[in-house]
Amino acid sequence: MSVTPLVELRGIVKKFPNVVANDHVDFSLMPGEVHALLGENAAGKTTLMNILYGLYHPDEGEIYVKGKKVKIRSPADSIKLGIGMVHQSFRLIPVHTVWENVVLGLKEAGFILNKKKLAETVKKVCEEYGWNIDPNAKVWQLSVGEKQQVELLKLLIRNVDILILDEPTSVLTPQETKNLFKALRIMAEKGKGIILITHKLEEVFEVGDRVTVMRKGKVVATKPTNEVTAEELANLMIGRPVLFKLEKPEVKKGNVVLEAIGLKAMGDRGVLALDDVNLRVHSGEILGIAGIAGNGQEELVEVLAGMRKAHGGRVFIDGEDVTNKGVKYLIEKGVVYIPPESTRWALVREMRLVENVALKLYRSKDFSSKFTINWRKLFEFSKKLVEEYDIAAHSPSILASALSGGNLQKVVLARELSTTRDGKVPKLILAAYPTKGLDVAATEFVQSLLLKYRSLGSAIIFLSEDLEEIMMLSDRVVVMSRGRIAGEFLPTEKTIEEVGMMMVKDSAA
Amino acid sequence: MFKLERRVYPSRKTSGLVIFLSFLLAFFVTGLIFYFLGVNVVQFYSIIGNVFITPVLFLQAVFRSIPIILSSLGLVVAFRMGFWNIGAEGQIYLGMVAATGIVILHVFYDAIPVSLMLIAMGVASFLAGGAWCLIAASLKAKLGVNEVLTTLMLNYIAMLFVDYLVYGPWRDPEGWGFALSIPFPDYATLTFGGHPSVAGITISVAVAALVYVLFKYTKLGFVLSVLGKSSEVAKYAGMSVGRATLLGSLISGGIAGLGGFYVVSGMIGRLRPRASPGYGYTAIIVAMLAQLNPWLILPAGIFFGGLLTAGDALQSLLRLPASTITVFQSVIFLCIVLAEFFMRYKVVLKR
Repeated sequence: MSVTPLVELRGIVKKFPNVVANDHVDFSLMPGEVHALLGENAAGKTTLMNILYGLYHPDEGEIYVKGKKVKIRSPADSIKLGIGMVHQSFRLIPVHTVWENVVLGLKEAGFILNKKKLAETVKKVCEEYGWNIDPNAKVWQLSVGEKQQVELLKLLIRNVDILILDEPTSVLTPQETKNLFKALRIMAEKGKGIILITHKLEEVFEVGDRVTVMRKGKVVATKPTNEVTAEELANLMIGRPVLFKLEKPEVKKGNVVLEAIGLKAMGDRGVLALDDVNLRVHSGEILGIAGIAGNGQEELVEVLAGMRKAHGGRVFIDGEDVTNKGVKYLIEKGVVYIPPESTRWALVREMRLVENVALKLYRSKDFSSKFTINWRKLFEFSKKLVEEYDIAAHSPSILASALSGGNLQKVVLARELSTTRDGKVPKLILAAYPTKGLDVAATEFVQSLLLKYRSLGSAIIFLSEDLEEIMMLSDRVVVMSRGRIAGEFLPTEKTIEEVGMMMVKDSAA
Repeated sequence: MFKLERRVYPSRKTSGLVIFLSFLLAFFVTGLIFYFLGVNVVQFYSIIGNVFITPVLFLQAVFRSIPIILSSLGLVVAFRMGFWNIGAEGQIYLGMVAATGIVILHVFYDAIPVSLMLIAMGVASFLAGGAWCLIAASLKAKLGVNEVLTTLMLNYIAMLFVDYLVYGPWRDPEGWGFALSIPFPDYATLTFGGHPSVAGITISVAVAALVYVLFKYTKLGFVLSVLGKSSEVAKYAGMSVGRATLLGSLISGGIAGLGGFYVVSGMIGRLRPRASPGYGYTAIIVAMLAQLNPWLILPAGIFFGGLLTAGDALQSLLRLPASTITVFQSVIFLCIVLAEFFMRYKVVLKR
């Protein structure tokens, strides 16, 4: 191998508070290759690429570009080195034209713009890649695929030869995806190197020459794509975490608590995120929902919690139609919701612990009269919760921001589990990634809590990125893919590998 | 090397200290500015200080601080719920219009009994100021229009609306053509307790207490505080975010409207153009200086009322223009903004 790699990363380490996002990562990119960077969400792919792009600075490790050791302090540095990145969210100015967006910040454009010449260059590059965009069109008039082409144009005009694309297909239609891949191949033929961040297996085989799989901040494999199978990649990507046993008592399934029929909902980007989802959960049952992040699981629990509107289908709780009845109504029905990143979305950090306990309880008759809140009672109640859940807070009047992540998660759980409907057992518990980011002891605590409420007769929907955890805790598992239910089975019926395959097959970002 | 570091959770003590220091800094910077302009700084500050130790002048300071205090208390409600109401000035004007409207209804149409006059004027000005704020709030709730812009622009509409009224339909027929409304009859003026500032301070303390109770004990207050910190969490907790926004802004604008009521009924005794010299803008500085604490609004407001009073003395004694006080106010404001920054960040020495 006499060819110098375009990029070589050696032993990159990047630590964030509480996590090591990149743990001694080695990575290389050859000229003329499309290198897929595969991994689950939070595997460290984007962090690694942000380091290469100059947005983050590595704590350790070396970066070589075209054989020379470099320090990349900012995106401006990386562009000088010929590195360009297309982010998931586009960085374009909608009210400006295509060529205006392209030349924005372009040094070669000079002080006085030669509009004609520039528009011509833009046109020429477009023709090369078979794109059909009018340089004088305003960006807001373009389709998503075309906007992405403008982003690429920006890089190509700057003679970038190392392109990083962060999950570029997540917003594209299948046809647009095909066009993008065609353009990527042309770029590769011209000797450019392309890094494709993705978590879709089929893309790896469709355009990739080599693939690097990351998991939990580490590179687990780098291989030519013609030497691996989809199954191998799926296993590498999802991996097998350490097992620890939990005692799971027998519980008799009760009546149907939740029934969802033909549920449809839009995602934040305005595309269909839930498509004809049918679900049933019984009292005393944990339904695990598996899937690659971004396949509709979060939208599903949001709809069930009343946080997101259902555009079609119906939701029943205890036989009552509660479709789109709103958060407050559902809380009163006994629906408990632990949202993803609950320490951020279910707590106010700048408020005191007791106020966070009061977030939903302040409406309860036990703690308030018609207009006023009985803070003294809430204070006593918070004290009880602090003791019961072993929260490391010496008083309920401390600010939530003074507590650690694990303790904050405990605060959310304590409030949600013990306090809805004035002390009664919650009817339905929606737990979205409740163990994410917790240490082993805290994870075990959360799991045992869910099992406790299962015994008490709550119906539970449980989301986790850890497949092992889902298989261990659930009575029944549902796999979601592209907003649909891709399969349903008992945890004893399938192996982790089979489920992993189901998740990755046909999944979306 | 000096580096900025985010404070994890700023304590109340540091906040208080930082605000106090920035306040002192404002005195220093203002002194510097006037020193270079050739003003005798010692005399400058002694004239200002004199206001607060001379009973007659202090009473005048309190008198002039009432509309500032009231509208500032309204802003406390808005700012705590994260609604950046810059429109207290306009809400004050609407309060004046409503109070004057009641007087005109009474004098010309005999619609309201004498005994109910003051109450009717208070209620009307509250509702009018509140409604003015509600325009911006509903634009925000329904269409997502930024309230900073709308509340600010509504100020000018309100001010010009008053101009229209007193130059037009509400001009006193016996006023020799001056742009003034009819003078308010005695029973429509806030003169109980001898001096109008007695009535003013009574109302101010009562409103401060109500704002305090609102946030300390009531459900609505709690919802507003959560909303101010994170509307996402408020939505998650099942709070009716839209209703709370509207209700909160009604209260905020309403309290400022009461300030307008005081201006026409306690201070001037009639409606005239430009009746507020920017009370609603000064109120923003006061609210920030008081760190949105309703009790601290009272002394902070009186301080600014004192500055206005001192302005008159500065004009006559030092022959300084009226805008001198505006310079001082602005420097205080800038220093508070600086303080807000140092409350969030601290400077650390890094080697």
